[in-house]
Amino acid sequence: MRTLLRNGRIIDPSQGLDVIGSVLIEDDQVIEVGEIEDLSDIDEVYDCTGFWITPGLVDMHVHLREPGQEHKETIQTGTQAAAAGGYTTICCMPNTNPPLDNPAIIDFILDKSASPEAGGVFVAPVGALTKGLQGKELSNLGAMKRAGIVAASDEGFPVQNSQLMTDAMEFCVQLGLPIMAHCDDTSLSEGGVMNDGAVSAMLGLKGTPRTAEEIATMRNCLLSLHTGCPVHIMRVSTWGAVEIIRLMKSLGAPVTCEICPMHFTFTEEHIGDFDTKFKMQPPLRTKVDIELLEQALQDGTIDCIASDHSPHASHEVDVPFDEAPYGASTIEATLAVTLTNLMHTGILTPLETINKLSTKPAQVLHLDAGTLVPGETPVAQLTVIDPNVEWKFDRNKSFSKSKNAPFHNMTFKGKALLTFCGGEIYRDALFPSERYAIYM
Amino acid sequence: MSSNLLGIRNLEPDQINELISLGRDFKKRVRAEESVPNLSRKVVGMLFFENSTRTRVSFEQAAYYLGMRSSNFATSASSMSKGETLKDTILTLRHERLDGLVMRHKSSGSPVLAARHFGGPVINAGDGQHEHPTQALADAVTIIERKGTIEGLKVAIVGDVKHSRVARSNGWLLEKLGAEVRFVGPRTLLPTQTANLPGAFYDELDEGLENVDVVICLRLQKERMEQGMIGSTGEYAHMYQINAERLQVADPGCIVMHPGPINRGVEIDDPTADGERSAITSQIENGVFVRMASLYWCFGGNA
Repeated sequence: MRTLLRNGRIIDPSQGLDVIGSVLIEDDQVIEVGEIEDLSDIDEVYDCTGFWITPGLVDMHVHLREPGQEHKETIQTGTQAAAAGGYTTICCMPNTNPPLDNPAIIDFILDKSASPEAGGVFVAPVGALTKGLQGKELSNLGAMKRAGIVAASDEGFPVQNSQLMTDAMEFCVQLGLPIMAHCDDTSLSEGGVMNDGAVSAMLGLKGTPRTAEEIATMRNCLLSLHTGCPVHIMRVSTWGAVEIIRLMKSLGAPVTCEICPMHFTFTEEHIGDFDTKFKMQPPLRTKVDIELLEQALQDGTIDCIASDHSPHASHEVDVPFDEAPYGASTIEATLAVTLTNLMHTGILTPLETINKLSTKPAQVLHLDAGTLVPGETPVAQLTVIDPNVEWKFDRNKSFSKSKNAPFHNMTFKGKALLTFCGGEIYRDALFPSERYAIYM
Repeated sequence: MSSNLLGIRNLEPDQINELISLGRDFKKRVRAEESVPNLSRKVVGMLFFENSTRTRVSFEQAAYYLGMRSSNFATSASSMSKGETLKDTILTLRHERLDGLVMRHKSSGSPVLAARHFGGPVINAGDGQHEHPTQALADAVTIIERKGTIEGLKVAIVGDVKHSRVARSNGWLLEKLGAEVRFVGPRTLLPTQTANLPGAFYDELDEGLENVDVVICLRLQKERMEQGMIGSTGEYAHMYQINAERLQVADPGCIVMHPGPINRGVEIDDPTADGERSAITSQIENGVFVRMASLYWCFGGNA
């Protein structure tokens, strides 16, 4: 079986490649990239003229909700949504019920995600840093590493005790396991439901001050600097946090960071009349933050873009604002939001865009992904993107089980039309049928 | 045509004036034992998810004067304690054919959700730290009775502004009707950012009270001391208590108000609360009439 993706714009940040050319897949492997000489025995052809051919996208921050919260999402629906979003590798977060804090649950996740019913993407689990996400005792990180976790994190329940975090980092250095850190000093953020600012004062909602994020960012960066543990800062949202990361990187701390599409698209103003779709953790900030976050995306201080896909059932979000859970269903819109708000606006080049959505996340977590170099990934992983197609995101047509989508009804420019992981795992209705030919 | 009364912030000055006029008219008529509109076919649900005897009694009295039946929904006896969501409670009351709701809830913005699901008039009787529109209307009627107008007055709202729905509703109302609004309190009890709020902010009481025509004291919750926002009630009283001495810088005709319940000796001293400057009892009485006005206005004004 030989498959040709013909005449696309090949964008592969792992090789600094941005050229017009083709990609040849034989069975489930990428064989050749660029100008293909040997076009004999081609079984199927996808005409990619005008489209991008990129390494499969990598999402470092996804909540699949299984086990325990299958009413919000399952491994099956979440991975299908990921494939539709252009992803071939996703990292699932440990705040399930029970949490991902032991090897047996990691086995369960890996088995289930590899089943034929699932979406066909690779799932790389992130293990709980502490048992039960309680912030008290370290999990059995060595055993979980052997079972297949790619990083450790307490995600939305960040470790407050600095001695425990120091120990965790020292142990993770030994294991070669990156720590993913949601940065929040909960003594400052406790009870907060939105950004502490002019809008929270108007709405009478308790604010989460930016200092909660920034103090914890500083602490985690300092501990990273002194222990040498690679720390990935999750979902930065304030200009101050970015400045701290910039400083700590310049001092040599092995830190990286990600931003989520909500935080460069929306501000606290979007909460409007108590709209729970815009309740995020950390909270949506201000226009000034977005301007400086865009600069940091451009200059490379912000390494990665992650969806923080956080599905919640409709009955859970149709409640008073302070009772609503944090987060939004985003994995099917993240690429489009990024292309629309960062690439088409000139903030990121196409190469930088794909770097932050694929290559860099793979490098940060040492994943065999994010590249089109033959043999570098276990199977061919690539995404065909039409960067110019205009479409409207409709949550009722999404694969995700949950419809808490702030991007609902928004029009975007750019979409993944084909996703390959081994073989084709997703073909969008917007991919013109006349562009596909089969000769078998 | 029915409408909601969810807050003051989204009302036009004309609408506020209409509610004030209605309230004053009802007061005159009730006192003179003249007839008022009869809404006797209407049933209004009193949903008090947070304890408030005062406001609930005031609304019940208002409904009684208009001939309405009020249906009490006490939270401890309700299905909320069995884990029912607010949405389902509201849907239940809608399909039990209640005509309108008066709601108090600890969550800011919850009346917006109730209004979305109820489909009939919803009156906010206090939501979290957001708004308390009928208290602001009662205070406005009281000020107009004592001062003739609101326009051009200087009004100081003193105390725990940050956590106060009364402060927000009063601030918006008074500014919309042309008063100069001053919020006064310790920095820990003032909002950190004030761009979306009316008025000016002061942390010194003497500065805030200078030449004011009206002082509205806010209740200091014990919680604030436990949270470390102020050292003690004594410290607060020393710095912010409204009393004759502190009122020397105010206009000689200055009136003093308090939405209750009062912590006597903390935010206001006894002689001031009971003295001739005090308009506190008028606020309570006017509360009934502006709540009549609110019910009548929300039910479309068709008797």
